[in-house]
Formats: sequence, structure tokens, C-alpha cells
Amino acid sequence: MRTRMKDQWPTLLVAALAGTFGVLLLHVTGLLAAAIRADDVTGESDTVALMLGFVATVFVVIAVYVSAIVTSNTVATVVAGRTRTIALLRLIGSSARAQRAQIAKEGLVVGIAGAAIGVLAGTGAAFGVEQFAVANRMLPPTEYDYLNPAVVLPAIAVVLTTWLASWVGSRRVLRVRPIEAISNSNAQDREELGRRRGRNVTAIVLVAIGIGLLVTGVVVGLTDPMGVLIGLAGGILSFTGVVLGADVVMPPVLRLVGRLFGRSPAARLAAENAVRNPERSSRMTIGLVIGVTLVTTFSVTMESYRAMLLAAQEAQPEVYAGIDDMLNATIAVFTVLIGFSALIAAIGMVNTLSLSVMQRTRELGLLRALGFDRGQLRRMIVVESAALTVAATLTGLVLGFGYGWAGAQALLGGAQGDPVFVMPGVPWVMVGVLIVAAGVLTLVASIAPARRAMRVSPVVALAVD
Amino acid sequence: MQIQPSDLGLIARVAGLAKRYGHGAGAVTALDDVSLGLRRGEFTAIMGPSGSGKSTLMHIMAGLDSPTAGRVWLGDTDITELGDAALTVLRRRRIGFIFQSFNLVPTLDVRGNVMLPFELDGRRPTQDEQAWIDELFDTLGLGGRLTHRPHELSGGQQQRVAIARALATRPDLVFADEPTGNLDSRTGREVLGLLAVASARYGQSIAMVTHDPVAASHADRILFLADGKIVRDAGRSTPEEISAFMLSMELAA
Ligand SMILES: Nc1ncnc2c1ncn2[C@@H]1O[C@H](COP(=O)(O)OP(=O)(O)OP(=O)(O)O)[C@@H](O)[C@H]1O
Ligand SMILES: [Mg+2]
Repeated sequence: MRTRMKDQWPTLLVAALAGTFGVLLLHVTGLLAAAIRADDVTGESDTVALMLGFVATVFVVIAVYVSAIVTSNTVATVVAGRTRTIALLRLIGSSARAQRAQIAKEGLVVGIAGAAIGVLAGTGAAFGVEQFAVANRMLPPTEYDYLNPAVVLPAIAVVLTTWLASWVGSRRVLRVRPIEAISNSNAQDREELGRRRGRNVTAIVLVAIGIGLLVTGVVVGLTDPMGVLIGLAGGILSFTGVVLGADVVMPPVLRLVGRLFGRSPAARLAAENAVRNPERSSRMTIGLVIGVTLVTTFSVTMESYRAMLLAAQEAQPEVYAGIDDMLNATIAVFTVLIGFSALIAAIGMVNTLSLSVMQRTRELGLLRALGFDRGQLRRMIVVESAALTVAATLTGLVLGFGYGWAGAQALLGGAQGDPVFVMPGVPWVMVGVLIVAAGVLTLVASIAPARRAMRVSPVVALAVD
Repeated sequence: MQIQPSDLGLIARVAGLAKRYGHGAGAVTALDDVSLGLRRGEFTAIMGPSGSGKSTLMHIMAGLDSPTAGRVWLGDTDITELGDAALTVLRRRRIGFIFQSFNLVPTLDVRGNVMLPFELDGRRPTQDEQAWIDELFDTLGLGGRLTHRPHELSGGQQQRVAIARALATRPDLVFADEPTGNLDSRTGREVLGLLAVASARYGQSIAMVTHDPVAASHADRILFLADGKIVRDAGRSTPEEISAFMLSMELAA
């Protein structure tokens, strides 16, 4: 079973990144809290430290959640690739449960390793940040103790979620039938989407309630800024619904986006490939959707806020002096923190796409035999990668604009006495960065699979294994 | 003036063909000085024990693999030293393939699979070609299944689609490597019958590798390979004659 650990390295990378992020954030929060406590003015109040801890927890939870989705998808993809082997082992008498337990055990080992790496790397990074900040007088020297027992929390979270995600992702093992070891027909790699009704109903209910609350929040916000809290609850509920219902939401988006790339054979096959495993594609894209939605929501709200502040600044320049810089710094910090989850999701996409293409070697050989040239194969894979990235980015942007506007409207609609319509601010820089990032991700995700695809010899299509 | 393969009525020809894998003591000679010509419009079966070099011969003749020595022609084109791009176009336009399994692109329906070679060429079938494709769908009994995906078809139906695709562009030569290897004997016989009809009625040249004497008995000509050499070149034969020869080959080995 040694060799089987080899396809687990992406999971290790994801676990290590999530662990590093969690530990780093915890240390930095601790450092800031220590600095605040040392400060004469703010030292008295615990509120700031508490708020910091709360915000850090939210970001760590998001990162760990996204990495769990990524891990379960990676494991499911690995299992799909091992179907033949698993079927053979089943054929000679191994039970499906034993096979699944084996994979979950690998997940546990990988989770522990990832958490360990995370604690070391996160602590190291936090130390680096402190040295840098102190040297540049951004932070006073503090007595912060790096043996903060709280770091076991993100570590434990990483171990548990990696283990659990491996268990969830290995569900497909139970469906592998021993006969698949000897059957030689066209691979049936579609995954059934039945048995999902319960989940979909929950998703729809959440989205409906969430939208209701969002609307209520916006209406209440016309007279009372507390409307934003109602809106926030609505946002969280409806977005949870979208994430739960990703299997239903993402495939149509992927189909639509797939059409944008034209009707050439390479583009058409790419569009089909992007949805051939609806479950896999949904999980591949939903992590990115989460990241993009959060970043967009946040920056649209802030941008609307900024527009209002700038208007106020024109009226009373002395009161609002320097507010722009502070806003920019806040936006930058938060975007980076949220962006980390998007990075984990992106790694997941790169890896899953690579695995999927590897599992299609035979089909690539067939296409070569039928007359696809190398350029067409490469185009096919780049377009598949682009379809996934574009679908995720677009969905995230649309959702984020909706949420961002609702947030701004609820927060600011009644802030100046009279109910007003708040124009959603468009954070052009952020949109630009997202588009560039999507382009880079498309290319990065397709480099390795495209290169491998171009090396496939048509002879493999004729080979009977 | 040089004599072209087509002047001899040949659709494909190899001369002095050799294929070796590996070097030194571990080297395997898959093909050893093979020379042969396939005649236009004929249905040729290639037989021989496992490992005798049948698949290797076919891969090289189809431009999927390159020989260690010797030359290969398809029609009058010397394909021995053609580059990848030229070979790709050649496969697209002038060669049809039927494999033992995994013949069809799983994400395309029946019609999409059959039309794929045309689309790769960036063109629509002409009216004449479309009529031919419709006739193929009809003859192969695929009329009602054009929008089905491969996983919705039985093994025999999948092979019929593969046949339709291989014949659709009216290629110079169709290569089939154990096309019935995965089918039960009745379905296999039906599929073979269709290949034989394509050759007899429409003059399609076909080269088919098979282990099955009944399958080979549909062919106009049967080549026997052993240890990378052609050991017998026979005309149409009965399954009994073919079995008898195969058996004698095994006993001699
Ligand atoms: N890629 C390769 N590397 C090394 N040896 C190879 C390779 N491909 C084929 N061979 C060897 O070449 C010889 C001929 O193989 P080939 O596949 O042509 O046989 P075959 O007649 O098609 O057999 P079968 O009936 O089992 O399909 C065999 O000894 C095989 O082991
Ligand atoms: Mg063979």
C-alpha cells in the first residue's frame, strides 16, 4: 500500500496550507492582543482583543471548510482512478468497508502530517511577521509567548477535517463492484446524483429563507442601520444553501460558460468534459465560488461605503481626513485573509483537473487516433480549465455583487436620516485582479495535464489492458 | 518510371518491415522483415498466436507507430517518415479505426461520434456523404439511437457505431483490431457480417486482426503471422481449414 500514499501529496499540501494559515492567524491575533494590552489607551478594553479573536476564527473556519471540500474532492477523484484496483481487491475477497477504512486511515495520517507542518510553518511565519513589524515600527515589541496552547485548535481542526473529508470522499468505494475488474466496456464515469433530494430541499429552503431575510434587512435598513444584521443572517443562510446545492447550481453555469468557447470539436468536448462528473466539477468550483463571493461582497460593500464617505468628506474635509488610507488598508488586509481560502480552492482545482485528465489517457489516445492533433488536445484541456475557472469567477462575482449591494443598502440606506437608494460601488481594481487571477489559474491548471495529454500516444487507445 | 503501389492494385504496402523493442539481451523482435501488400477493396484478416506481432504490424501500417527498419505506404503515400501533424491528418481523412473496446468518445452521442472525423477536418459532410451516413445508420440499425451516449448502448451497438464512424469518411483503409473480441459470439458474428458487407458491397478495404477462425472465414484473404514473420498467405478459407492451420502452427511451436 506504500505506493498509494503517492497520490495523497495534494491533500497533504492543502492540509499543511490550512494548518499554516490557521496557526499564523492565531499567533498574529495573539501578538496584536498583546500589543493592545501594552498600550495605555486601549489596554483597558477587552473588546478589541475579543473582536480580533472572533474575526480570526471566522477566517480560519472558512479556510478549513474550503480545504475540507477540496480534500474530499481529491480523495473522490483518486478513488475514481483506483476503481480497477479496488474492484480487483474486492474480487479476490477484500470487503468494501476495509477498502474504505484504508483510505480514511491515509487521510488521518496525512491530516496529522499536515497539521504538524502547519504548526511549524505558521509559527515560523508569525515570528517573521513580528520581526518585520517591530523592525519597521509598525508594532511595539511584546511579551507574546509562542507556546500559545490555542494553536492546537487549528491543528486539531485540520486533522479532523482531513480525516472526515477522506471518509466522505471515499464513499464511492462502496459503489465499486467486483465485476468492474474484469469488465472491459466503455468506462462509465458519470457519478449518480440521485439520493440527493433531501439535501437539495434543504438547500432550496435555506436560499428562500435567506433571500427573505436579505430583503427584510434591506427594507429595515432604510430606517434603521441594524437592518444589516438581519441581512447578514440572510446572506449566511442563502449562501450556505448555494454551497449545499452546488451540484444543482454549478452544472448549468458550466454548460452556459462552455458555450462561450465556440463549436469547434476541441471546445465542444472541453465543455462536455467540464460537466462529465457533475459532482466533481461542482466541488472543484464551489471552493473558488466561496472565495470570490466573499472577496466581492466585502469589496462592493466597502466601495459603496467609501463612495458615501467621499461625499461626506467633500462637505467636511477636516472630520474625514485620512479616512481613505484607513479604508484601503482594511480592505487589503481582509481581501488577503479571504483570498487565502481561494488559494486553497485553486490548488484543489489544479490538482483535480490534473488527476481527471490522467484518468482519461485512453480517451486521449482515441482522440489522437481519430485525428485530433496535439494542438487540438491542448486547446481542449485549456478550454476545460477555462470553463471551470470562468464559471466559478462569474458565479462568485454575481453573488458577491448581490450580497455586497444588499449589505451596503441595509447598512447605509437610512444612515443619513432619509431613506436613500445606495448605488453599489464597483471595486474595479478588485474585479481586474480577479480576472487576471482567473486567467493565471486557467493556465496554471492546464499546463501539466496539457503537457501529459500531448505526450499520449494513439497506440494506448488500441491497447487492451 | 517508378511503379506505384496503386498500379499494382494495392491500398497499402510494407517492405522489409522490422520492429524491435529494447536493446541488447532484453531486445524483443516484434516484426522481422515483413513485406506485404493489401489489395484495394479486399477484406484481409491477420491471424497468429498471441505476441506474434499482429497489433504491431497494424499500428505501423496505420501510422500510429514507426518501424525500426523498412518502409510503409498508404496508397501512393510513403508514410514512413511523415511527421506527427501529417500523420494526424492522414488518420483523420484516409484511415478508419475499430478497436476491441473503448471506441467511442463517452461525452458525445452516437451522431457526434460518427461526425467527429468530419468536424476535425473543419467541414460538413457533402450531400453525397450525408446520404451515405444515413444509409450506414440505417444498415447498422442505429436510426433510433442517434442521440444516445455510449454508456446507454450495448457492446454490440457500440461496435456498430464504431463501424459507422470508421466507414463514414470512406477511408482508403479500415483497421480493426479484434473488433469482436468483447462481444458474445452471436453479436460478434453480426458485426463481422456488417464488415464483410461493407467490403463486398461498397468495396471498402479492411484489415482485421482476429483470433477467431469463424471471424476470419468472412475475409477474402488471411495472413498468418508467427514470431514476427508472415508464415502463410491464404485466400478465403473455411473456419475448419483455418483452425487446422492454427493448430498445426501451435504444434510446430
Ligand atoms: N511497447 C512495447 N515494448 C516492448 N515490447 C513490446 C511492446 N509492444 C509489443 N511488444 C512485444 O512485441 C511482440 C508483438 O506484440 P503484439 O502486440 O504485436 O502482438 P499481438 O500479435 O498483437 O498479440 P495479441 O494477440 O496478444 O494481441 C510481443 O512479444 C510483445 O511483447
Ligand atoms: Mg494484439
